[in-house]
Amino acid sequence: MPTKPHRVLLDRVSGYAEEAAAFMRRRRVARRPFARLYYPNGRSSDHAADSVAGGELFVAAGRLIEVAGKKPKP
Amino acid sequence: MPDGGATEVVSGDAAEQALAYLAEMSPDLRGAAILDSAGAVLAAAGHPDRWREDAAALLDVADRAGGEPVEQVHVATEQGEVFVVRSAGLAAVAVTERFALASLMFFDMRSVLRDLAATAGRRDENRRISGEIGPSAPGSGEG
Repeated sequence: MPTKPHRVLLDRVSGYAEEAAAFMRRRRVARRPFARLYYPNGRSSDHAADSVAGGELFVAAGRLIEVAGKKPKP
Repeated sequence: MPDGGATEVVSGDAAEQALAYLAEMSPDLRGAAILDSAGAVLAAAGHPDRWREDAAALLDVADRAGGEPVEQVHVATEQGEVFVVRSAGLAAVAVTERFALASLMFFDMRSVLRDLAATAGRRDENRRISGEIGPSAPGSGEG
């Protein structure tokens, strides 16, 4: 007996949602801190945390994060 | 500012409204500030002096890193993410939770700055027409 059409659809959507959730989990685990600068001409540059500029960018960004504090509770 | 400065003066109220709008648009936002072309804080969530100093420090480092003024900055750390956008002679600085969607943040920040500059331009034009201020110098506008 063939599967009911709506079940096929549900299975497919659930499959996509599981794939997406797994992708997001992997991304959260694998993603490393980065500093990226964009210029008016469309150029962009990445600066590693162990470079001089990258280190300074992370320190300056850390101060801003400190100023902003935690997200206010709704 | 890399794109020239908006000669119009943006009011603090308008900047506060823009900041509130940005907070409403961005659920991941922890805090933000809007600065003028001279680096003065027009509106900020929290301590304006610290926002001014720390935003200036970040922009200074970013400008030196590439040898030219930056248009956007995105720094992602373990504690949160920092976004900076320069547009229309203004700068917006935002701190968000981790994994905020960068393209959406940049889009929202840029549109807020553009609207703010346009509002200031209209108000300036109205004042000019009503004779409160003198005519604008040729070529001094944002364009």
